[in-house]
Amino acid sequence: MVFALFAAPLVAGLVALAAPWRRAVAWLGALAAGIVLALGIALAARVEASGPLNDGVLRVDALGAFMVIVIGAVSVLATVRSVSYLTDDVASGHSTRRHAARYSMLVQAFIATMLLAVVANNVGVLWVAIEATTVVTTFLVGHHRTPSALEASWKYIIICSVGIAIAFLGTVLVYLAGVHAHLASPLDLTTLVAHAGQLNAPVVRVAFTLLVLGYGTKAGLVPLFSWLPDAHGQAPAPVSALMSGVLLSVALSAILRLRVVAVGALGPTFPRVLVLVIGLATLVVAASMLLVQRDLKRMLAYSTMENMGIMTVAGAVGGPLALSGVLLHVLGHGLVKGVLFLDAGEVLRLEGTTRLGALGGLLARRPAVGGLFALGLAGLVGLPPFSLFLSELTMLRAEADAGLWWIAGDVLAVLAVVVAAMFAHARTMLLGPSDASTTSPVSFVVPLGLALGAAVWIGLVAWPLAHLIALAARVVA
Amino acid sequence: MNATRLVAGALQLALVVLGGPLLLGLMRRVRSRLEGRDGPRITQPWRDLVKLATKQRVRPTESSWIFGLAPLVVVATAGAVAVLAPLATLAPPLANSTDFVAVIFTLLVGSVVLALAALDTGTAFGGMGASRALTIGALVEPALLVAVLALSLPLHSTNLVAIVADGARHAPVLVGPSHLLALGSFVVVILAESGRLPVDNPSTHLELTMIFEALILEYSGPDLALVTLGESMRLVIWLGLFANLAAPWGVAASGAGGFALGAAVLVAKVAVLGVAVTVFEVTTAKLRLFRLPELLAGGFILAVFGVVTGAVMR
Amino acid sequence: MSGFANALASAAVVVTVAAVVALWRRRLRSILLALVVQGVGLGAVATLLAVHERDAGLVVVAALVLGVKAVLIPALLARVASASPDARESDPLVNVPASLVIAGLLTLVAFVAARPIVAIVGGPSGRLVPLGLATVLIGFFMMVARRRALSQIVGLLLVDNGVALTAFLVTSGVPVIVELGSSLDILFGVVVLRVLFARLSAIGVRDLDQLASLHD
Repeated sequence: MVFALFAAPLVAGLVALAAPWRRAVAWLGALAAGIVLALGIALAARVEASGPLNDGVLRVDALGAFMVIVIGAVSVLATVRSVSYLTDDVASGHSTRRHAARYSMLVQAFIATMLLAVVANNVGVLWVAIEATTVVTTFLVGHHRTPSALEASWKYIIICSVGIAIAFLGTVLVYLAGVHAHLASPLDLTTLVAHAGQLNAPVVRVAFTLLVLGYGTKAGLVPLFSWLPDAHGQAPAPVSALMSGVLLSVALSAILRLRVVAVGALGPTFPRVLVLVIGLATLVVAASMLLVQRDLKRMLAYSTMENMGIMTVAGAVGGPLALSGVLLHVLGHGLVKGVLFLDAGEVLRLEGTTRLGALGGLLARRPAVGGLFALGLAGLVGLPPFSLFLSELTMLRAEADAGLWWIAGDVLAVLAVVVAAMFAHARTMLLGPSDASTTSPVSFVVPLGLALGAAVWIGLVAWPLAHLIALAARVVA
Repeated sequence: MNATRLVAGALQLALVVLGGPLLLGLMRRVRSRLEGRDGPRITQPWRDLVKLATKQRVRPTESSWIFGLAPLVVVATAGAVAVLAPLATLAPPLANSTDFVAVIFTLLVGSVVLALAALDTGTAFGGMGASRALTIGALVEPALLVAVLALSLPLHSTNLVAIVADGARHAPVLVGPSHLLALGSFVVVILAESGRLPVDNPSTHLELTMIFEALILEYSGPDLALVTLGESMRLVIWLGLFANLAAPWGVAASGAGGFALGAAVLVAKVAVLGVAVTVFEVTTAKLRLFRLPELLAGGFILAVFGVVTGAVMR
Repeated sequence: MSGFANALASAAVVVTVAAVVALWRRRLRSILLALVVQGVGLGAVATLLAVHERDAGLVVVAALVLGVKAVLIPALLARVASASPDARESDPLVNVPASLVIAGLLTLVAFVAARPIVAIVGGPSGRLVPLGLATVLIGFFMMVARRRALSQIVGLLLVDNGVALTAFLVTSGVPVIVELGSSLDILFGVVVLRVLFARLSAIGVRDLDQLASLHD
């Protein structure tokens, strides 16, 4: 059953590789993403009913099932939009059919590697999967083949490879600690969590530091984050949506899982301080970069960094409540940020630029594009009724409950700066007079609107995910 | 110290003095052959020395006593090392206190005095040569010191005789990474210190590139003969030391027969190394002067890794 | 010291010294040669451990390491180098002598950092762990101190090889499946970098300084 997850992306990817590119190929990719989402829901139901599923080195627990659902949901959104993105690209001569086919194939490979990363129950396989996401997304980032896109993909693969090499060193040291403690299967996550107390503390301390730095690179955390705005700014919009919406969260979930091992071996203090420092630094860097942004997509990229920072801080605090908030935020942020990046892609296609200053009057000129953006932005900064309001509130509440008032205060202060910056940028871009007004196609408005609706739905009723999130939070609390 | 040791030391000195110019002759001959020329006879450097010794001595009017003293110092320091170092015998005079660092820095005294003498002439070439030679010297010395440290790690002693004797007894030490790295560093140092390619071209008088030749440009007659003799002795000693560190077999422990064998082995080793250096020189181009620090820093880092490995493996 | 320990140390030293040589030399061909030597040294470490521990899985890993790191990856990069035979690192950000001194200092740092690991690994291989970490640090340094895009790839590979050496030394290698996955990932990574390099060259970019259009 677990392996079935990979079947749909695999088939869709192979078809894209073998058959000449047509619209139908892109639709097949969207169908594959839909199947992943459906399987994710089915897996979640099974896990809720009868506990985690084991399948060799793979294991689906509540967190795994939840992450599969997030990947599925954002992938559906991104692949559906990829259909018209690719059609336009081929029609306008920006890319050939071969490039479109390669794009379709790589997106499916991207989805498959992320799925592997969230269901891997082996620290080594986890590493292989996350490294593989880098390799398959590099060409997606450089899809446009402009000098800037190539530069972004170069930085992306070089910096992420460094990060991932650091993470491998950390993985090796975890293995060393496991072997040293005479564990039966020293790379097995479940075993490591169960016997964390027996692991050699100094080695785990070094290993966890390396792992947080390494996977933190993929999660857009300080210090190796400089690839993030470039890659998100240059990648095609659906790819940015996937990377920002789920890839970073997948890396974060890896850190959260490893944190449990570190807490077991070292006690709560060291992991908390380490992750907290990195999370807060990320928040501050992202907020200060947000203030000075002039480009729409880079602004969204830094906003993603800021959100990763919020989640990292809450993850450092730990506890079921904080982790529930983190997971809810992963889903809500994935959907909303996906919508915003796709919207930014549409802006780039229609207006030919993403420079904030050049977009004035967008709301009047293109009401659908501008309106969806305004709604998405409201969701992103955490206005009710979007789920991000609920999740941010939950995380702040958990931080305060843990007695870390000053942290909740810091996060709130940074959030206030971020909201002010984003609203100022949005005003530059959205408001202002315009002479003409054009409508947008249904194929653009409906998927984005549905995604925003889903984010509201989760925020208001939380059904049917509340129980799953509570279970998943317990896995890494 | 007993009489046998003194005799052994004296014989070593004679060997080095006689062999130095012959080594130069051999290397020139091999070089000529490799370049398709017939070349001068091996004994030609000796003939040159004898001829120079009978010529009139001319010294720059501005120079002081340093200029006259330098050739003597070069020969004397090389001669002292030739007596004391374990080249053909493991029982030279003062064998118990033949410190590696002392031996090497005695040799380097010659280089420094020669550079002073070149400055003393007050000519442009002398100053240029001195500055270049001292730059190289400053880069060579740390590498040498660290290489000595690496070589002395296994025994915890810088006694040169003991190091050579130990190498002959424990062959595995010789192929250990620490020893090999230190020897690699030694190769760079020897090429730089004895003015061979790719550091210096011993057969050029092109002002842009010459180093050693610029140092001795003002010497003539018997002074030039002494400097040349001293330099050739130093080359023999460097090569002999390297040979005995890399392959410390056949160095005589005692007895007249043993010494004869040791001398023969030394001659063979130095001749082989001389030919090797020549072959290397024929196939290499001279490095530009400002690239020299890279080469010498490489030699230094090799020695550092020699020490690091030695420390790791103990 | 036993023959095994001596041979293992020699092979590990080859890996580290090859990293230093890559930092030392300017000609890209010489740098690639250093990479080949490093791959061979790494393969030798794996083979020695395989023989010593009588571990068949490790033999497979050793063959894999030799094939990928000493043959395939250098061959991929050599095609780039042969396109411009005289390619050299003409003006590195940190000059060569200073780089070498820094490499020496990084090695000392590696010795200090490796202490907790050395303490629990022990044995002939445990003592060599600092060499692995030193290789990693030298690789990082090469990535920031060199201008050529190809040098940056080499720096990355030095990091990877250093991590691999550390892995072999501390645990006699991770399980075969992980090693297989990581080797393949690195191979694909180099293929991707190579293609990117070709695309960058096609638009006239050789030095990384030219990649400065994206910034805030």
